[in-house]
Amino acid sequence: MSTIQRALTGAAVPGRTREGARPIRPRRVRFDGVSLTRALLWAACLALVLVPLGTILTLAAGGNHLATLLQGDVVEAAINSLVSATLSAAGAVIVGGGLAVLLDRTDLPGRRVLRLFALSPLLVPPFVGAIAWIGIAGPTSPVNLWWRDMFGAPLGTIYGGHGVVFLLVVHSYPIAMLVVSAALRRVPADLEHAARIGGASAVRALGTVTVPLLRPALISSFTLIAVSNLADFGIPSIIGLPERYVTLSTLVYRYIQSGTVDRPLEVVATIGAVLLVIALVALVLDLLASRRRWELDSSASTPQRLPLGRSRPLVAVLAWGFVLTLTLLPLLALLSQSLLPAPGVPLAVENLTLDNVVRAVTAKGTATGATTSVMLAVLAGLVCGVVGLGIGTLVTRTRARDNGLLRAVAILPQAVPGLVIAVAWLVLAPRIGLFNTPWLILCAYITSFVALVVQAVAAPLSATPLTVEEAARASGASRFRALLDVSLRMAVPAALSGTVLVALTAVRELTLSVLLLSPGAQTLGVTIFNLQQAGAYNAASALSLLITLIGLAGLGLAARSSR
Amino acid sequence: MASVSLESVSLRYPSGAMGLADIDLEVGDGEFVALLGPSGSGKTTLLRTVAGFLAPTAGVVRIGPEVVADGKTVAPPESRGLGMVFQQHAVWPHWNVGRNVEYPLRRAGVPRAERSARVAEVLDLVGLDGYARRDPATLSGGQRQRVALARAIVGEPRVLLLDEALSALDEPLRDRLRIELQALTRRMGLTVLHVTHDRDEALALADRVVVLDGGRIQQVATPAELVERPATALVARFVSDATRVVGSRDASGFAADGHPLRLPASGLRGAREHGACEIAILPGDVEIAPTRAESGSAATATVVSSLFGRDGNDVLLDWAGMTVRCHSRTQRPAVGARVDVAVRRAVAYAAER
Repeated sequence: MSTIQRALTGAAVPGRTREGARPIRPRRVRFDGVSLTRALLWAACLALVLVPLGTILTLAAGGNHLATLLQGDVVEAAINSLVSATLSAAGAVIVGGGLAVLLDRTDLPGRRVLRLFALSPLLVPPFVGAIAWIGIAGPTSPVNLWWRDMFGAPLGTIYGGHGVVFLLVVHSYPIAMLVVSAALRRVPADLEHAARIGGASAVRALGTVTVPLLRPALISSFTLIAVSNLADFGIPSIIGLPERYVTLSTLVYRYIQSGTVDRPLEVVATIGAVLLVIALVALVLDLLASRRRWELDSSASTPQRLPLGRSRPLVAVLAWGFVLTLTLLPLLALLSQSLLPAPGVPLAVENLTLDNVVRAVTAKGTATGATTSVMLAVLAGLVCGVVGLGIGTLVTRTRARDNGLLRAVAILPQAVPGLVIAVAWLVLAPRIGLFNTPWLILCAYITSFVALVVQAVAAPLSATPLTVEEAARASGASRFRALLDVSLRMAVPAALSGTVLVALTAVRELTLSVLLLSPGAQTLGVTIFNLQQAGAYNAASALSLLITLIGLAGLGLAARSSR
Repeated sequence: MASVSLESVSLRYPSGAMGLADIDLEVGDGEFVALLGPSGSGKTTLLRTVAGFLAPTAGVVRIGPEVVADGKTVAPPESRGLGMVFQQHAVWPHWNVGRNVEYPLRRAGVPRAERSARVAEVLDLVGLDGYARRDPATLSGGQRQRVALARAIVGEPRVLLLDEALSALDEPLRDRLRIELQALTRRMGLTVLHVTHDRDEALALADRVVVLDGGRIQQVATPAELVERPATALVARFVSDATRVVGSRDASGFAADGHPLRLPASGLRGAREHGACEIAILPGDVEIAPTRAESGSAATATVVSSLFGRDGNDVLLDWAGMTVRCHSRTQRPAVGARVDVAVRRAVAYAAER
């Protein structure tokens, strides 16, 4: 009898008689390496997410500062925040969704290159975008100077609420575009073909079949963007404050910096708690709205691109002009500002100078800011990489009842405004002995960015069937060994690119760093922000340009090496 | 209802690959034609050319008297008056069954009252009476495919196109829908073009079968003709799993190259030229018997596999290095057994040059 025959008939195999003789009883609870890993990751989630957010809620509930919230300036700031977040999210979904349909479903010329351009604002920190747009539409921009010479008054500046909304749209539409693009690719081409056969023109098939199926993607990108724009700091402080357009994040910054109210921490925590509640409500509404998700089959046939026909050249010019205005123009403005000695100096060869660049790079603040930022970013990347690798792998590659919850908790901070996370750590700081240290910023970075790695890891892994681990188990590996040898190995490349993403995001971060500022812990973002606030516009531009270029190069390298 | 005609239709993809090469095909009014071929043979390309999703680079496509594509201009799919069922049903998930089915009527501008009457009628026809308000997500795979069929026929299309319409269903259900499909299309007198890779399905349903390979038509014939008189050895192999043997022919008969197989002239049909030729042996023309001691080794083969079938067993033989398929009503030898082989007859084809 061969080994295979024995295995098939169930007869005892020599050398395995011990197990064969004893009936295998299923044990319900086994504490092994997997359980230990799971416990450690839950502890990390507790420390990084649940404790900070819980602290802010309890402090807000205990302090009873709700009356303070009804003061005029808080109400005004809250209204400004809500309005700018909602309007900018709507604008971003319209722009991003429109571009996604145009680039994915029509025969627009040069759409691959245009797509890269359209996504590039993702790589530029929002406050850098704000500085760049001041060069295009600020009071001393070439356009306004020329207009003032012609008509006596400037055409209008970007400062104020409209500018804040505009810049928020510019910096968040790529997210909507990515989400809608992904959803578009999941709509089977057959659905549109069936409509064409039914008598619908190509445009009508797109409008009545494909676009309605994008609704869940449109809703969830709207929520995601609205929540994250609710508490952006860089844009409202650089664009809004000159016109006294105050939002919650700039208000909180003022409270913390200048102590204009009693017990600023408790007031700020109350504002944070209200924002947190708004964010959670939005999240729940989004979940409810997207619960009715359509089950879509995969499709073998490739979608047909909508021929633009005679309007193709016109649409091409408009689309290219629109995207390049939003993406390339600000970078050029940043470049010209960096090379000019002062704002308003005409752009001419004899006026160009590298002084700003030299001054910005050699300033003492720059060096320390760069060192702090790089150190914090690398550490945040490493910690997020390890924790995110663990959580992302565990929730996709094992079967356990708490998987969904663990994943939700780890991803939760992504739906929480950065302002809330900063305030939470600020409240927590004295109790854990981190007050006035850079480590506080590190903690906030980790809380905010661990979700990036979890998602980077979970997305590709959830597509692979669990049979790969079962094959390892069948070959004699224990549960933990299978996790180490198979699941984690599969997850490492995704975790690495997630780590790079975290480090590159953190090195250019402003909202968290500026609120958690402590002596000697000034980050690169704060350095630029301070230069800008101090009126050194051209030096701020030079530094902005440098870190944008370095960031682009870094992401380019990361994308290349991960291929 | 209308006829479909293709006149020397060719389609070259932008990559340079040939999708269709010089296709001539007439589909009569009310005829059920199956397009059969291995994957990559061009059958789906041909169907999508008729549908209007692909434009031929040369040749004329007509639906009824109307030219819909002539190598330069091409009528869009929505103006061709067709019905189509896809492999993955393509029922729109954001509308209920009734809204899905009435869509072609809406596009055609049929008034509301008539629309709902027609939808009810056609849902009844496909066995989904009273399902108009149902959400497609609550239907089974077979029911969704019926919705897709109802949507395809509700507008009284000139031609019904079926793109592997039954292939995604599991076996018993596929069999039942096959029966319903034939009954329905015959009763309505629909012109049908049906793409499939399932040979039994094509033979069972169609008035005529078009066998494609490499973008070219290999044979157009009724199912019986296709089985009895395959036009090429390739068709015989694809349709009936025939064994192809290369050899030469003279007055005495056929002799295989490098193999003991010999056939007398009386056992050969088809081409009569002497010289190099190829024969196709249908599985039913191979006889096997338990080997006898006195039989020479030249006519014994080893059984590679032996599958049971309702109307005979499919036995695969290794006969002196050549793989031969045999369909035996009486014998089901064990795998690895030695059997005596005899070839009753074969079809001869002039060797390809």
